[in-house]
This record gives sequence, structure tokens and C-alpha cells, in this order.
Amino acid sequence: MDTSIWRPILYLIGIMVFAGLNAAYLGWCERKGAGRIQRRTGPMEAGYEGLLQPLADGIKLLTKQLLVPSGADGILFRVAPVLAMIPAITSLVVIPFSENIQARAMELSVLLLFAIASIAMMAVLLGGWASGNKYSVISAARAVSQNLAYEIPMLLTVICIVMISGSMNLRDIAMDQQGGFWHWNIFRLDNFHFLYMWVAFIIFFICSIAETNRAPFDMAEAESELVAGFMTEYSSMGFGLFMMGEYLNIVVGACLTTTLFLGGWDCPFGMFPGVWWFIIKIYILIFTFIWIRWTYPRTQIYKLLNLSWKILIPFSLVNVLLTAFFIKVF
Amino acid sequence: MSGYWNDILVGSKSLVTGLMITAREFFKPVVTEQYPYDVPEMTPLFRGHVELIANEETGAPNCIVCMACQRACPSDCITLAGEKKEGEKKKSLTQYQLDFTKCSLCGSCVEACNFNALQFSKEYNLCSFNKDDFIIDLVKRLEDQN
Amino acid sequence: MQPLVCPSGTLPSLFSAEGFAGIIFLLTVFLVISGAVIAVVSKRLVRAVAGLAVCFTGLAGVYYFLLSPFVAMMQMLIYVGAVSILIAFGIMMATPEDKITPDNKYLSKLIGPLAGSVGALFFAGFSLLAVKTDWQVFPEHAAADGSIKAVGMTLLTTHSMVFELISIVLLLAIIGALVLARRGRN
Repeated sequence: MDTSIWRPILYLIGIMVFAGLNAAYLGWCERKGAGRIQRRTGPMEAGYEGLLQPLADGIKLLTKQLLVPSGADGILFRVAPVLAMIPAITSLVVIPFSENIQARAMELSVLLLFAIASIAMMAVLLGGWASGNKYSVISAARAVSQNLAYEIPMLLTVICIVMISGSMNLRDIAMDQQGGFWHWNIFRLDNFHFLYMWVAFIIFFICSIAETNRAPFDMAEAESELVAGFMTEYSSMGFGLFMMGEYLNIVVGACLTTTLFLGGWDCPFGMFPGVWWFIIKIYILIFTFIWIRWTYPRTQIYKLLNLSWKILIPFSLVNVLLTAFFIKVF
Repeated sequence: MSGYWNDILVGSKSLVTGLMITAREFFKPVVTEQYPYDVPEMTPLFRGHVELIANEETGAPNCIVCMACQRACPSDCITLAGEKKEGEKKKSLTQYQLDFTKCSLCGSCVEACNFNALQFSKEYNLCSFNKDDFIIDLVKRLEDQN
Repeated sequence: MQPLVCPSGTLPSLFSAEGFAGIIFLLTVFLVISGAVIAVVSKRLVRAVAGLAVCFTGLAGVYYFLLSPFVAMMQMLIYVGAVSILIAFGIMMATPEDKITPDNKYLSKLIGPLAGSVGALFFAGFSLLAVKTDWQVFPEHAAADGSIKAVGMTLLTTHSMVFELISIVLLLAIIGALVLARRGRN
């Protein structure tokens, strides 16, 4: 084991830069994407095509006063935005960007991601409650029931992948899918996994949208009914951290989907595998997130929970059984 | 049970349809105008404040100071004066002041004008902190345009 | 996973891997203790739950230092991700805050010393155990004990009875929840 002190420090800086740039520029991408879909231009003023907009937004947020409402629980109110950022950045530690670019190839990295993700839920819950605002509490309750409901099918589909690859190490899972798109878990030819793994992929993707509280599942910040949900009372960088956390969660979700289903850094035709393929894949997925957000209206909380409990969970259970069956039989 | 499968199938199909629509819109050209850089053409029937029409040959106003517009104006916005210059048949305009603060854009002045001397301008960038900015000297405006 | 072994009687340098790990260990222990204290002392129930979550997070760190990353992750996933959240959820939904006062003054005065003495007894017992035990430096075979494969093998062979019992408990919990949820409807 290389115990040089520089390696972790370099990775830390790299991850922080990646996280920071993504958190800043995904906001820009989202506004541009939303603009194009609605046939507007999106931000244009700050810099060329509005490229300096994230900077301007950041400066604006920093100059605002960080208000703590008088009815709020001061400590928890201040801690919650920080908690929202922790899992997003920590998760990036175990993401294998390429064969050689990974901060830590942990044996249980899949499990680590989901274990850490529970802190984000805690952040929403505490932030919502500590605001001392009815909207925020309702939003926190919604967010938690939604996240609990969608964690189950998500974990069940991940179990399929773990069964196929025989490992909980994200790097091993990605290595297992090298050599063209027919080796990827979504279209996997051996053992006829392609027959049902695309369903698992769709389930996983829907769940990752729901877990990151994105539209059409953004029940937690339903601005038309709950103002901004758990973020209602937050101003300045408290709000900024929640927003950054949301975008980073999208990045982590896309990275995870890429690693688990789309072969990680593998090229679709077996040529030039490398980190650029990983980046291309995650940004296609992130674009899909944005595309979906600006296509569908928000669902109702009942329909949302029904979708998870009545459709996704039975389907993912059947998927687990099918995976076991196909692994054993063929 | 068949309703369950039907819901899933119909639902997925409609979701895909929705995605296709937004994807198509994504690649279509932008329809909004970038206002300060991209000044829109006003429609022919747009009514800005009135302005004088210049003679196409000389560039001087068509107005002969018949005072019809002043009389027609219900709000008393128009003040105009003219003088008869040497060697000319008609009077020529020396001063035409429009008090736009009182004008309701009724168009009676344009209707009353028999000499093709008044029209609605296409001016819409009108804002000021000062009331006096809306007492507009139309003769000066015409000179500036020429 | 490698055990961090330091020869007895020497202190590792602060900037070596062992020294750094030692600092992190102290941090996790601090998390456990401070979380537990917050959970017990704080007057607001949601703060107490937050303290509980901190305590669980610290415990996960302790498990990690005991070479069982699997248990550590499960600790996070289940205790922080599910148990504390459900408790907080229940508190938020069920009671208006700061309205809970013990209804029996006499009993509440008795509980404090009782709990204190029981805690002291446990502390003394465990301390005695820790002092009396003949600690081995590090048994060779133990390195694989925390891996997911070893956990799976043990659960389905040596401790299969426990495994089955847990599944029965879970089944009962599910049925119980269904019964409770159904009661309100017609």
C-alpha cells in the first residue's frame, strides 16, 4: 500500500475541483437546457453565452445575509446544509473514473455509497425540522418517505449487479464489463442477462432521479405548494450548499449508473477505453436528468409512492429472482 | 390485473412521447428576442406618440400649421406655432410641442390632419425619472432623424 | 484491510499512517461519546435523535477500526439511514415539540440515580474485563473475518439459526405493520 501523503492530498484536491466545477456549471447547464427546451436562450449576459453566470450567482449568494429565523433550532439549522454536502463529496472518493483514476478502491464501495447517502436524508430531515416552518416540516416528511421508498428498489437492482459481478467493489464491477457494449450489464450477452437487465437499468435510473429529489419527483421542494420545501428558510450559502449538494448528488447518481450498468470507462466498441468515455457517459446521463426535469410536470406524493411500492419494487424483486435463475441455469 | 399492465404500458408510451416532444423543441431555433441587442420591429398598427412626417424631397415637415390637430386634441397636448417665410405660399412650422404626459394616444390629431403631416411613431423605449422629458419637441426630433 | 499494529510501549509519529489513524480513532471515539451525551442531555427530542445519529456514525468508525467494514457500512445504512430517521420522523409527526414532561415526579427522581448506578456498574464491569483480558496482538485468521464473504458464510452455516430467527422477526414486523395500517380503514 502506498502510504505517501501526497496521493490522498492530490486526490482530495482533484475531487474538490471536480465537485466544485460540477456544482457550479451544472446549474448553468440546467438553465441553458431548460432555455433550449422552452426555445429560449438561457443565461446570456455574464460572459460568453453566460459562462460566468455561476460565478455571478456565487458572489450574489455570498453577499447575502445568512438569516436564522427566530423560531428555528439554531444549531441544527446551521449544520444541515453542511450535512447535505458531505455525502456528495465523500461518494466521489470511491467512484472509478478510469482504470487508474480512483481515490480509493474499497472492497465495499457500493455499500459505502448507499451508507453515506443516508446522511443526505438526515440533512433534509434536520434542515426541514430546524427551520421551524410548517412547509419545511411537510417537505422533510415527504422527502424522507420518498427516499425510503425508492431506496428499496434501488438496492434490489444493485443486488442484481453485485450477483452478476460477484463483487461489491465498483472497480471490479467496471472491470467485469470491459470489451464493448455487449459486455455492459445493461446489454450483457452472457447468461442472457440482457433479457431483463434493461428493466433493472430503467428502475435504477428512475430511483436515482427520485433519490436526488429531482423533477418530476421533487416533492420536497414543490415550489407551487410548499414554497421551496426544506429550503424555504435558507438564504445565502446555506441555500447555496443545498443546491450544490443537489447537483453533486446528480453527478454521483450518474457516475454510479455509468459504473454499474454502462461499463464505466469502457468504449462501446472496445477501442480507446479511458476516462473520457466515463465523462461522456455521465454527461449524457446528466443531460437526460435535465431533459426529464423540463419535460414532465411534478407528480403527486401518493402517485410517487404508488409507483415505488406497486411497480418498481415488485419488478425489481422479480429481477433479482431472474438474475439468480439465469446465473445458476446457464 | 390487466389494468395494471395497461397502466404501465400506456404510461411508458406517453412518457416517451413527452420526451420526444421536448427533444424536438430542443433543436428548434430560439423564438425569444434578446431585447437590448435585438430590437424588435413594431407592428404597423402600433401607436407610439405622434411624430411629424417629413416631405420626401426637402426633408422639411409637411405641416402647414392649420391648427386642426390642436383643435382636435381632447387633452390639450399639442402646442404649435408657424410663420410665413418670404417667397413661400404656405406657412412653415417653427415649433411643435407634444405634452406626452397628458396624451392618451386617441389619434384624433392624426385623423384631423388633412396634409399627411402627422403619424404615430414606433417609439416604445420611453422611460425617465423626469416629467419634462415627455414634453417632446417634434420639430427637433424630425431634425435629429434627418 | 490491514491491521494497524504498533509495537507496545512506543508511540507512532504523528505524521505516519499509524499516527494519523490514531487521531482518526480518537475522533470516532469522541463522536460516540459526544453523540451519546447529546442524546441523553438535550431537551429537544429531535436534537437527541441527531445526537443518536452522531453516536451511530462514530460507532461505525469503531467497527471500521475493528476490521469489519461490512458491519461499519451496515451500521451507517441501517442505524443512521433508517433507525434514526424513522425515530426523527415519528417524533416530528407525532408530538408538538417541547411538550413532553414526565407525568410522575416521584418516579422521575428515582430514575436518574438508578440509571446512573446501572451505567456505572456496566462501565466498571467492562473496564474490569478489558483490564483482565489477555489481549493478543493480532490473530492471523481474523483479517478475513470482517470481509463480506466471511460474513455470508458464517451467517448461512454457523449462525443459520440466528439468520432464520431474524427473518421470522422481520416477517412478524411486516405483518404487524400491515395489521396496524389496515385498522384505520374499512
